[in-house]
Amino acid sequence: MTVPLLEVTHLNKRFAGLVAVNDVSFTLDAGEIAGILGPNGAGKTTLFNLLTGFLAHDAGSVRFEGHDLGGSLPHQIVNRGLARTFQLCRPFAGLSVIENVMVACLAPRVRRRERPERRAREIVDAVGLAHRADTAVETLPYGDLRRLEIARALATRPRLLLLDEPFAGLGAGEIAPLSDLIRRLHAAEGLTILLIEHRLREFMQLVSRVIAMDFGRIIASGTPGEIVRHPRVIEAYIGRAAENLTSGGAHGAA
Amino acid sequence: MVGDRMRGRQAAGMIVILAALAGLPLFVRSDYFLGILSVCFIYGIWATSWDFMSGLTGRENFGHALFIGAGAYTAAFLNGKLGTSPWWGLPAGGLAAGLISLVIGVPTLRLRGPYFALAMLAAATIMQRLTLIFWQYSGGEEGIPGLDPMFETKTAIYYLCLCGFVGITALLLLFARSPWGLILRSIRGDEAASQAAGIDVTFHKIAALVVSACCAGIGGVLYAHYQEAVTPDVFSVTLSITIIIMVYVGGIGTLYGPAVGAVLLALLPELLRGLGQYRLWVYSLVLIFILFFAPGGLIAPLWRRVAAGRP
Repeated sequence: MTVPLLEVTHLNKRFAGLVAVNDVSFTLDAGEIAGILGPNGAGKTTLFNLLTGFLAHDAGSVRFEGHDLGGSLPHQIVNRGLARTFQLCRPFAGLSVIENVMVACLAPRVRRRERPERRAREIVDAVGLAHRADTAVETLPYGDLRRLEIARALATRPRLLLLDEPFAGLGAGEIAPLSDLIRRLHAAEGLTILLIEHRLREFMQLVSRVIAMDFGRIIASGTPGEIVRHPRVIEAYIGRAAENLTSGGAHGAA
Repeated sequence: MVGDRMRGRQAAGMIVILAALAGLPLFVRSDYFLGILSVCFIYGIWATSWDFMSGLTGRENFGHALFIGAGAYTAAFLNGKLGTSPWWGLPAGGLAAGLISLVIGVPTLRLRGPYFALAMLAAATIMQRLTLIFWQYSGGEEGIPGLDPMFETKTAIYYLCLCGFVGITALLLLFARSPWGLILRSIRGDEAASQAAGIDVTFHKIAALVVSACCAGIGGVLYAHYQEAVTPDVFSVTLSITIIIMVYVGGIGTLYGPAVGAVLLALLPELLRGLGQYRLWVYSLVLIFILFFAPGGLIAPLWRRVAAGRP
């Protein structure tokens, strides 16, 4: 029997009385491209922060390639091959595009194998930023910052890439090329990808499996086709929207 | 191509300045003035070493005098109390400052927030108090007088300080332009993103602090033997703040800017000697004006313009 690439079991995280992630369990197999769906505040980003070591979980476990990641620091997890992007782009101010990517090429996991400059050039090329390589990141348009964010994560040579709302803040014309890029990376490098997204249409076309969350819990899991028909997902999205319309935005009891 | 020409101009400019400084004692026979310049170079070491840690990583250090004092008092104990050769002070003072930086850096640099800056400020102040409390060993207010100079002539001391200044600045510039420097600058840009890029930010911040501290400590040793004495002032907040001002005037994060800025600003009070006790007022006003009108500093942007061939 093969070990799943990522195995999350009974993961819990609470912030001062609020249960942000509640008994979450799922697995990812190598080569999968899966998505996490859920309304705002469902605990998606908290889950990412737990998986990548930016937050410590209260209970449960995260195993990556069979290793327990409990207690590992963010950079240690990256160097095991689990990289992430941030929901709000976080470029290194004061550095050029190529330098931004080069920093990630200096991570111990990568540095042992390749010259950082060469690898950084290749990756900047691959995400379509070659013409901006020497630009200061401060002058970069938002769509390019998103690409840079992905480039930096890719530079760490991940086996699993977590994308936190890669399409957030993008215009209609920018989504399709980025969507293609993610699909290409998945196909070319055999990269396993887990992404959070709000834009249902692009999301559903991209992923082969969806994990739906609400109030910190997994409420459903399945193919995109199954998920859009799942009664609890419909309730979480449409039901609450209808309720919001009638009750002036107040949430019902959990 | 433009970059090459710019680099060529910068290299040419650097050689001219270094040649002028090296040749200066041939024309200036005043021991007094050579002494002043020696101290200016020591300030250059302090400002450049501050900039290496704080300018590159963005973690402000409000107590650089802690490392300076550690170096100076180590030299004074070795030479003044134990009677060893002043040259032993250089490695010993650098090492002492490096060890102290580990004591402060290891617990505070793993945290975000102002802990490191405050710990440095507090530690330097505490050390200054300790020199008064343990006056039997440290000489109290009087300090430890009667140290041997490193060389007999002021000209030789001038060259020693110049070599120390140029050597340390060159070394730190080399580090800053290496992949390590890129890592440190990424920490200034965004610490969490740097972690997400697989960088052990705590380790790199501490390593940068140790390097910075060793250099400042060596500067402290040079200062102690230049003065042939140490006093508790080497731990003072005034000194720490003066260094930070020098860095901001030079252009934070560039290293060469603070190096030049420190030498010029250290020279300024000597040129404006009449101002006497108003020196800090002038410094403060200069800082306010520069932050207001030239937030990137004066020296580094000017140098870039000259090197690019623009008027």
